[in-house]
Amino acid sequence: MLKPKRFLLVLCLIMSVVIIVPAVHASEPVTLNFWHHYSAQSKENETLTNVLIPQFEKENPDIKVNAVSHEWAELHDKILISVSTNQLPDVMRADIAWLPEFQQLGVLVPLNKEMADFDSVAGQLLDSAMSTAKIAGDTYGLGLNTNSKILFYNTDMLNAAGVNVPTTTDEWAAAVRKLSGNNAQGQQVWGWNEPGLSGWNLAPFIWSFGGSLTNDEQTAASGHINSAETVNAIETFVSLVSEGALTGFNSGDIPMTDGFGTGRYAMMLEGPWKIAELTGAYPDVAYGTAMMPAGKGGSVSVLGGEDIAMFNSANKEAAWKFMKFMTSEFAQTQMATVGQIPVSKAALDSQTVQEQEFAPFLEAIQTAKARPTVAAWSKMDNELMVAVNAVIQGEKSAQQAMDDLAVVFDGLLKE
Amino acid sequence: METKSIKGKIQLGALLLPGLAIFLVFTMYPMLRLFWVSFREWTLSSMVNQPFIGLGNYIAVSTDRTFWTVFVNSLVYTLVTVPGQMMLGLFVAVLINNIKRLQVTFRVVYYLPVITSWVIASLVFRYVFNTEGLLNYLLTRVLHVSGANIRWLDSRWSGLTVAMVLGIWKGVGWNMVIFLAALQQVSADLYEAAEMDGCNRWKQFIHVTLPSIRGTILFALVMLSIGGFSVFTSIKLITGGKPAHLTDTLLTWMYFKSFSTGDFGYAAALSFVMALALGILSALQFRLMKSQDAV
Repeated sequence: MLKPKRFLLVLCLIMSVVIIVPAVHASEPVTLNFWHHYSAQSKENETLTNVLIPQFEKENPDIKVNAVSHEWAELHDKILISVSTNQLPDVMRADIAWLPEFQQLGVLVPLNKEMADFDSVAGQLLDSAMSTAKIAGDTYGLGLNTNSKILFYNTDMLNAAGVNVPTTTDEWAAAVRKLSGNNAQGQQVWGWNEPGLSGWNLAPFIWSFGGSLTNDEQTAASGHINSAETVNAIETFVSLVSEGALTGFNSGDIPMTDGFGTGRYAMMLEGPWKIAELTGAYPDVAYGTAMMPAGKGGSVSVLGGEDIAMFNSANKEAAWKFMKFMTSEFAQTQMATVGQIPVSKAALDSQTVQEQEFAPFLEAIQTAKARPTVAAWSKMDNELMVAVNAVIQGEKSAQQAMDDLAVVFDGLLKE
Repeated sequence: METKSIKGKIQLGALLLPGLAIFLVFTMYPMLRLFWVSFREWTLSSMVNQPFIGLGNYIAVSTDRTFWTVFVNSLVYTLVTVPGQMMLGLFVAVLINNIKRLQVTFRVVYYLPVITSWVIASLVFRYVFNTEGLLNYLLTRVLHVSGANIRWLDSRWSGLTVAMVLGIWKGVGWNMVIFLAALQQVSADLYEAAEMDGCNRWKQFIHVTLPSIRGTILFALVMLSIGGFSVFTSIKLITGGKPAHLTDTLLTWMYFKSFSTGDFGYAAALSFVMALALGILSALQFRLMKSQDAV
């Protein structure tokens, strides 16, 4: 009779032990934990796990690589949490926008100081990509892959409206206006889609109109974020919004790909991933690509992409070997065949890379700029969005909103 | 069972241990730790070593304009959805309680939204209320009552209204079940006596039904108010706080502050401000019900 009761007691005790005692796991001496956000089911992840890592482990038999795939947003949050619990990986692939934050956490290794052969390694990679890892004079990562945004236009819509592909900012604003209105079914159509109001969305306009977000040293914003050119960019953008020619950032709007694929949005500025998305979802839509229209500041798009960086807690020697391998011509060319734009100069020159679908983006990368590499950027980004929204709502003039924003930016940059 | 013997006590302790352990490790400890965090500067630059800043985070919260926007949003959400779903739930419960047939069918029908996933329901609502959504299609193309699409989700109050409609729609079933159980406890004798005293159905409802289920009303009121202040999924998925945080609520704002900007200290303080507000609200509700008790 006692047996089931005793069993229950034992079970309860075991459960308590499991809950209270944290799992202790022994790690092998040379296992590199590599966290990344290549989607688990993607070709990139396949190449990483089936081609790159086996090759690296063959070249370095004493190192094992344990690659863990995370969702993009989840990886960012997980790093923040792992810092306080001291459970960071050795190496990570980080969105370039995250690097300044992680640097401020004090967990990244300044590579230029600690790696003897840093200069020769960095010299083989694109300067623009390396600029994304340079924070307050030191470099905390290597460029891993890069991207930028170019103009996508719906060929049929432009032809029907008799609009040429815009090459200047003036032509662009005129084209956006002309392409807006109603289609044959009486549905509203927009000349331009912009899916957000953050720096990723607005910076190409600010820069191409000749404006800027901060000074070159990234220490102050007054006179830059509220310069006549920046204000002109914001004013042009907002007037297109209020005329019903530009949309996409509202909660109720048609999603970007759907709107472009179904002929509701005539043009947009987007990255290389959009090609695959359109091929998959809207294979019949006829579209072309062009450079970001040039203004006073030239044709300046925004730089995206990822860096590879190591944490303080890493086995630095092994981690550095892996980082050099991932930025080598071999690894970069392999990743290029599955859509990652390389940053290795040697890989970029290769025939394989020049023939990829992303070839039109290679030109944009030459003139594209990185968003400020400061830790306060995510806060600044949010303030920019709030400020531009106030202009759209008619609460402030563009000049007033940008003047106020300059004060906020200056404060955040001093933090 | 010999609970007074030592052996019995040991057994009792052992059986309680898992529950207590879960409670202590996963509820009490995080709460105390969070309270500690709320007095520290815990941002990106102080993730490893957090200096004590006293009430700094609480001052930052109370002087933040966005905090007051999201606080008002949460308050309005609670003040609208809680009475809304309680009244509708009670109404449905009274109706179902008075029918002889198909009681189970109606109960199931009204309860279905409750067991529907928040994520799916939110996404469906988003599709319905999109600028190019089902409702606008109905209004402009089928009924022709509006010439242009209405931008339901793109401004503060209309965006919040969509979330509130979802909250009420989803909560009616829960209230119906709770009130139905309470209604079935009310003795038939009371109604009989009231009828003999000349009370019509409405007067019976006011003087017999409502006083009899007061305990249940208080329970639902407190539970739903806590739930109203904790609204997260629907806001996150329907408007995402857009435009410019004007439709954010306390929890979506807390999430943004901690995970998008790394301000864990601010978020911790915000959570205790929210707990305080809920405490005051619950105390008021208890007092209100008690004073009615005395009448």
